[in-house]
Amino acid sequence: MHDNEHASHDHEESFIRKYIFSLDHKTIGKQFLIYGLIMFFVGGGLALLFRWQLAYPDQPLPIIGASQQYIDEGEVVTGADRMWERIYESDKEEWLEVSMPSGVITPEFYNMLFTMHATIMVFFVVVPILVGAFGNFLIPLMIGTRDMAFPILNMLSFWLAVLAAIVMVMGFFVPGGHASAGWTGYAPLSSDAQWTGVEWGLNLWAISLLLQGFSSLVGSINYITTIINMRAPGMTFFRMPLVIWSLFIVAILLLLAFPVLSSALALLIFDRLAGTTFFSATAEGGGDPLLWQHLFWFFGHPEVYILILPGMGIASELIPVFSRKPIFGYRSMVYAMIAIAFLGWIVWGHHMFQSGMRSGMGNFFMTTTMLIAVPSAIKTFNWLGTMFRGSIRFTTPMLHGIAFVSMFVIGGLSGIYMANTPVDVYIHDTYFIVAHIHYVVFGGSLFAIFGGIIFWFPKMYGRYMNDALSKIHFWLTFIAFNCTFFPMHILGVGAHMRRIANPTQYEYLQGFEGMNIFITMSAFTLGFAQLILVFNFFWSMYKGKAAEQNPWQVNTLEWEAPTPVPHGNFGQIPTVYRGPYEYSVPGEESDWIPQAEPEHAPATSGD
Amino acid sequence: MAHNNSEVQGRQPLSNARLGILVLLGAETMLFSGLIGTFLVFRVGNVTWPPPSHIGIELPRVVTGINTALLLLSGYTMVQAWRAIQKDRVKQLRNWLLITGALGLLFLGVQGSEWVQLIRNGLTLQSGVYGGIFYVLIGCHAVHVLSAVIWLFIVFGMAMAGRFSATRYVGVDTCTIYWIFVVALWPILYVLVYLS
Amino acid sequence: MLDQWLPENVSTFGQGVDNLFHAIYWLTLVVFILVIGTLIVFLIKYRHQEGKKADYIEGSTTLEIVWTAATTVIVFVLAMFSYPQWNNIKSPTQFPENPDVVVQVSGKQFNWDMTYPGPDNEFGTDDDLVLENELHVPVNAVVHIRLTSVDVIHSFFVPQLRLKQDALPNRFINVWFEATKAGRYEIPCAELCGFGHSGMLGYLNVHTQADYDAWVQERWP
Ligand code: HEA
Ligand code: HEA
Ligand code: CUA
Ligand SMILES: [Cu+2]
Repeated sequence: MHDNEHASHDHEESFIRKYIFSLDHKTIGKQFLIYGLIMFFVGGGLALLFRWQLAYPDQPLPIIGASQQYIDEGEVVTGADRMWERIYESDKEEWLEVSMPSGVITPEFYNMLFTMHATIMVFFVVVPILVGAFGNFLIPLMIGTRDMAFPILNMLSFWLAVLAAIVMVMGFFVPGGHASAGWTGYAPLSSDAQWTGVEWGLNLWAISLLLQGFSSLVGSINYITTIINMRAPGMTFFRMPLVIWSLFIVAILLLLAFPVLSSALALLIFDRLAGTTFFSATAEGGGDPLLWQHLFWFFGHPEVYILILPGMGIASELIPVFSRKPIFGYRSMVYAMIAIAFLGWIVWGHHMFQSGMRSGMGNFFMTTTMLIAVPSAIKTFNWLGTMFRGSIRFTTPMLHGIAFVSMFVIGGLSGIYMANTPVDVYIHDTYFIVAHIHYVVFGGSLFAIFGGIIFWFPKMYGRYMNDALSKIHFWLTFIAFNCTFFPMHILGVGAHMRRIANPTQYEYLQGFEGMNIFITMSAFTLGFAQLILVFNFFWSMYKGKAAEQNPWQVNTLEWEAPTPVPHGNFGQIPTVYRGPYEYSVPGEESDWIPQAEPEHAPATSGD
Repeated sequence: MAHNNSEVQGRQPLSNARLGILVLLGAETMLFSGLIGTFLVFRVGNVTWPPPSHIGIELPRVVTGINTALLLLSGYTMVQAWRAIQKDRVKQLRNWLLITGALGLLFLGVQGSEWVQLIRNGLTLQSGVYGGIFYVLIGCHAVHVLSAVIWLFIVFGMAMAGRFSATRYVGVDTCTIYWIFVVALWPILYVLVYLS
Repeated sequence: MLDQWLPENVSTFGQGVDNLFHAIYWLTLVVFILVIGTLIVFLIKYRHQEGKKADYIEGSTTLEIVWTAATTVIVFVLAMFSYPQWNNIKSPTQFPENPDVVVQVSGKQFNWDMTYPGPDNEFGTDDDLVLENELHVPVNAVVHIRLTSVDVIHSFFVPQLRLKQDALPNRFINVWFEATKAGRYEIPCAELCGFGHSGMLGYLNVHTQADYDAWVQERWP
């Protein structure tokens, strides 16, 4: 090939090729980001709906409820009803009537809400943003290449994900309503429509996840190939930034884990549509209800590390940059991630301690699960070590990085309670688990996502995000998050079960009403805070302060590329001379040496 | 010195396409692991196999055994095709590909007729987990053979168009890797499903 | 602090569970305070100050070994203390033998069916007694439960007993307990089992021996 110098300006692309069916990894990354943010609002909105029910059981929802009342009873209660009236007058949505008669959430609908909340948050928000958006945007830029190995597959991966999201959201509008067997879809509840009354909703759920599986498969093949084969000269594996390591490991996990879920989903679809009985024990010649759980969690536990590892990677970028210090123990950070990924395959039984497994198996899974505390400890202490004797700058991305570390520690430590089999007998399926989930996925993954967005925004859009708004968003989120989810530990210790639509039905939970109301109000605040983020994101895209090429003075290669990054990324592929975290090297004038800076050359400043 | 993607790639022992296919096989292996695991759960969980309700049903072991040999043979012919193009023998490539494809189709044909027979004998998807996992697991493999055959004929068409030479044969290469995977998987399934 | 929210424990093995809970509570509290404390100290002490450069430290093998080893030891010690508790609760070979009462509890959408074998101590005979949602047992007696389900998975949960076990269709799982205090306790279902999951609720009536005998006398005169 001779066209070394092919940059974007020499061929104009049509709007569709450039923004819709783009083959450029950066555009696809941004598409995944916006897709994930939109779905975040869908998933979060569902959470707010069922939080209302938990705080005020069987009371009509505000606004929506009143409009339903209007439809049912023909009376206008508030001004907002007029809006809903217009939306619904032409065609009364049957499902809304069934699921929310007079605006009260029925128990069936409650089950659909948390099922879809979790499904959307896990498969359509956190994975697409962490892996789809950051993976696509960062991998080629940070390893110094022009694009992914298979750009067409890359585009396919995004559009398959869009299709999956459309199928998933469609489930709400089919007769019988959406999947309501929890995001874990335990059989036989999920495998036979007679137990839930849900017909096509659950089929669509399974089909959508199969599509999402194809999307991840294509994406992970792309990532693995690109990282192995297309690193810039001098970019050895152990000079790769840790976020690339994390994405590499996650791609392998996705590649190997998702097909197991696909096989389980295929069996589920056969059970539901073709009359097989793989998961139904009651039918003649029938199967095994625990089989689903084994297949699901064999996928599911690696999946939760898919949700956290890229977050760890992002934190490992933010903390050294803003402490102006090398990451503490680079290699042990890499080995720790590999250890987490490896151990993740042999702990799935910890979700099934109370399912009737033999007690010996319980002992095995308890031990392996608690062992994951070891590589997690290595990571945590290395982040602390990175800040030790540093020169810490409290930029907003750094605040998110610090929040990530501290919230992940809380979530991880609560994991130890659950890993402990005797204690899990008591706290399994209580709000203690819900608290754990959200401390790791919101406190962990989402804080890393927020930090990552603000950190790389200047490279993505050539502008800064508004810092005042970012700071308000951070503090509101940090406080509201803890107010929402910390009390859930207490609910759990009080044996408040998860997945119940109405806690007031239980005598021993009578004392918790106030706490549930407090949690709901905090959750609404948390949701409101996210509006600030989204407003800031889109506003800054057009109106933000213009950013220079390397505003945070970072060593890694993505900041070598001009801003905005042209098609093909680099004028000339950079050569890498050193590791990614050479900050504050003794005897150097500047406190950072970019990876592409030739040896012994005097260090230059940013732009 | 300037670098671009193809140059960077040129330093690598495996081209992107070859590596990509190998990575894909990792996922395929896990897909089949899920199904084989399911089979084993049922097989180990039942003392008598087939379960008492299926006493009359015999899986066609001998015919399938011969069929297995056919498929293994196709693996051999596929490797011959691959060898031929490495030596730049395009005509041999075409012949071996054609033989391989024919063997693949023959395998599918024999399987199809067996299925018809089994369904007549009363073994259906709905007859408990025995029938269910039989059709799903073997069927999943059959779908893979079918896609391998389709792929093979695309490669054959490209060979007819003279698109391959001793230095340019990634298409043959990737197809061979996939074909070998599908072939190598079968004896495992045969032993598990038909002989165990 | 967290532990004050635990409901009262009324089973023999419950104390073991609570002890482990407390142990982990203190362990994680100490780890948490150490980690967050260090973090806060670092954030204050090493905040950016004009003219002060960060130190160049790439890592420390000694430290890595120290915290790897320390965590490994803690984890294994914790595990060693947990095995016997867990086996005591869940391993059928370690159940106290010769139960005083045997009951079959069967989950169904959305009730608990309690089946007593009657005087002949055999299930499936004429003198069986089936009660809906009401379980009666004597205090300080070993109770064995044959847990099963007729449709989907449910979970038998009595918070005060520190006992939880899923009930699987077409499978019998044995659990045991010995209640130490008379009273009426709720038996919620802890596994999502359909739209009636919330509110699927039974009651465990723990009677004094005299009351229990009277109850038995009334049923099987
Ligand atoms: C990002 C996602 C994520 C992550 C990272 C984790 C991490 C961990 N999880 Fe979690 N988990 C979930 C997501 C996640 N989990 C979800 C979504 C569920 C619920 C699914 C459902 O049912 O719906 C779940 C459920 C779940 C269960 C099942 C509970 C039940 O249903 O009864 C268990 C049980 O063992 C568990 C354990 C752990 C452990 C031990 C870790 C460990 O990896 C944590 C390790 C980290 C630390 C320990 C902190 C740092 C270490 C130190 C500071 C060193 C010192 C520590 C010691 C000496 C102990 N998790
Ligand atoms: C990545 C994962 C993720 C994330 C980010 C969240 C975010 C949130 N979760 Fe979620 N959650 C899960 C994963 C996640 N959750 C999982 C896996 C389960 C288990 C499900 C199961 O049992 O099957 C669960 C279950 C779960 C429960 C338990 C339900 C039950 O068992 O009955 C609760 C209860 O409070 C809850 C609350 C919340 C809240 C308040 C948020 C908030 O943080 C959300 C904040 C964001 C927003 C609110 C968006 C902002 C939007 C607006 C402001 C617009 C408003 C729009 C409308 C009103 C339409 N979640
Ligand atoms: Cu029965 Cu939940
Ligand atoms: Cu897990």
